[in-house]
Amino acid sequence: MSRTIVIGVGNPILTDDGVGWRVARELRSRLADRGNVDVIELCAGGIAIMEALVGYDRAVVVDSMEGGGKPGSVYRVAPDGLEGTRNSACAHDTTFRAALETAGLLGLALPGRIEIWGIEPGDVDTFGEDLSEAVAHAVPRVVDGVLRTLAPSRNPKESA
Amino acid sequence: MTKRISIDPITRLEGHGRIEIFLDDAGEVANVYFQVPELRGFERFCVGRAAEEMPVITSRICGVCPEAHHLASVKALDDLFLVEPPPAAKKIRELFYMAFFVTDHTTHFYALGGPDFILGPDAPPSERNLLGVIRKVGIDIGRKVIDCRKRNHEVIKTLGGRPIHPVGGVPGGWSKPVEEEQRRAIEEVARQNIGFALFSLDIFNKIVLSNRDYLDMVLSDSYLHKTYSMGTVDDGNRANFYEGLVRVVDPDGREFVKYSAGEYADHVAERVEPWTYLKFPYLKAVGWKGFVDGAGSGVYCATPLSRLNVSDGMATPLAQAEFERFYETLGEGKAGGRHRPVHHRLATHWARLIELLYASERMLELAADPEITRKEVRTIPDGRVKVTGGVGCVEAPRGTLTHHYVADAKGVLTKVNLIVGTTNNHAPISMSLKRAAEGVIGKGKPVTEGVLNRIEMAFRAYDPCLSCATHSLPGSMPLVVEVKAAEGRILQTIRRDDTGRVGGTPPFLRKAPGAEEESGS
Repeated sequence: MSRTIVIGVGNPILTDDGVGWRVARELRSRLADRGNVDVIELCAGGIAIMEALVGYDRAVVVDSMEGGGKPGSVYRVAPDGLEGTRNSACAHDTTFRAALETAGLLGLALPGRIEIWGIEPGDVDTFGEDLSEAVAHAVPRVVDGVLRTLAPSRNPKESA
Repeated sequence: MTKRISIDPITRLEGHGRIEIFLDDAGEVANVYFQVPELRGFERFCVGRAAEEMPVITSRICGVCPEAHHLASVKALDDLFLVEPPPAAKKIRELFYMAFFVTDHTTHFYALGGPDFILGPDAPPSERNLLGVIRKVGIDIGRKVIDCRKRNHEVIKTLGGRPIHPVGGVPGGWSKPVEEEQRRAIEEVARQNIGFALFSLDIFNKIVLSNRDYLDMVLSDSYLHKTYSMGTVDDGNRANFYEGLVRVVDPDGREFVKYSAGEYADHVAERVEPWTYLKFPYLKAVGWKGFVDGAGSGVYCATPLSRLNVSDGMATPLAQAEFERFYETLGEGKAGGRHRPVHHRLATHWARLIELLYASERMLELAADPEITRKEVRTIPDGRVKVTGGVGCVEAPRGTLTHHYVADAKGVLTKVNLIVGTTNNHAPISMSLKRAAEGVIGKGKPVTEGVLNRIEMAFRAYDPCLSCATHSLPGSMPLVVEVKAAEGRILQTIRRDDTGRVGGTPPFLRKAPGAEEESGS
């Protein structure tokens, strides 16, 4: 059976940076009956996310994302759509894209489909466990959107 | 004369790392400032909570070293609640911590600091990362790094109870004992770690120490600062990451002071400068004399290099042999029976690998210790709360980490103070940036990509973790170098972040322009 991982990324105590965790938590309860879907939370950068993907057929990554829109805007991108800075000035890790390339070089089994959902944050400078209002409103949209994409396909050709 | 910089909201939002280089009227470097945005409200977030929530909360401050915060926090609670953990609990904590150290130092060497040497200081930034290391040295090295991270994460998960944000530590001990089967698995991991650490030192030998140009760069004045050194030592004055006394030696290697964690405020004060949110800790007894080195300045350093400098030796045999080789190669002889400190900041990379080896050996000692599987892992606090508060201290990979909590009689927090590893090094980092800038900028010469990297190398040696120094999330750290005239006019800006975007603190992910936007439903 095809295995899927859902990863919520961020810092759960830094206001809107916790949105990935919030979505993951919601998805965990909504997907509890799906034995082939794992939901986890991560706080670290590229290499750690890449490592978590190994062995899965499909992945959904949810995080706060700067896209230039208003807080609460929802983006859906493929890894190619990320502006991965491949520079070495990264705090303690590589970027997600560089990590994926590393996995490719090493021949690690990465999911054939990786989908990234981003939510434009408002405040990521203040400690707090609550999302700002606009970002909180985006949570159900993202949850529903992810659930739709993960719904068992009616078209057998689509199941990868 | 340099002009004072005021930080307005726009510059604050520019990005995580901003280096401002001020030139004097003659076009020479006058001052260099390192700026990071401030995160707000940590103390307010904590005050009013039960103190025992802190090991879980503080581990979330930062995605890079949750384990260090977790342990400093439980040690602060031991002190606050006046409780002494049983021997097995202390050993489990240290074992857990060694697995973390191995992971963290490995990641730094292969993904961040090492690429400068392995690929060369002039390699393009897009290659100066783990990907570049693999392309240059081979796939095998990449597999070793990933395997090392994986097996140690497994240990952290087993002992800490969760893959990230551990919950193993509790005031008075650890939440569960180690089973024999787990112990055997961890022992095997430790053996593999030792092999990996020796392999890493061998790479360093071959690539850096055998290359005259690199060795000259390590030993050059551009990366030299004779400051005080800080680190934790055991009762034999050997390096220890989990417990002991904080020892400070002067620039010539003489012991300046040795104190227990709880006395930190007697010895360390924090300097506030008008141009930054960062605080600059310094030795109280020496005093703040500005961003200068020497025995007359209270600036000290807390890094893998300074930890070796304060130690009379390493507590494990292979690391001890490497310690001796380190000082024989880079040192300037002995004084008072001790090696004189090494002050070449780029030597920190070698020191980090010696610590990697020590952490691996110590991990094996602990995993093989019959006491590690004992069932007595907790002393239950009896309800007392120390009036002056509790202080906990560990050596984090980036320097001495101190947590200080004050609580009321019911254990509800009234005051919280953290001095995180990188913060110790704010003054030395600023000094090193200036020194590096002076070496490559001046007389109107254009500032190039290569110049930027020489400056970056100066701070990468410290492995600065701005994640918790500013209490912000990990992720890409765009670096902006601005060269300014004395009156503040920007002469040149170089942005290392290749997105070219201006504005916004960087959440981990950034969307490329034109990527699909969900219309919503």
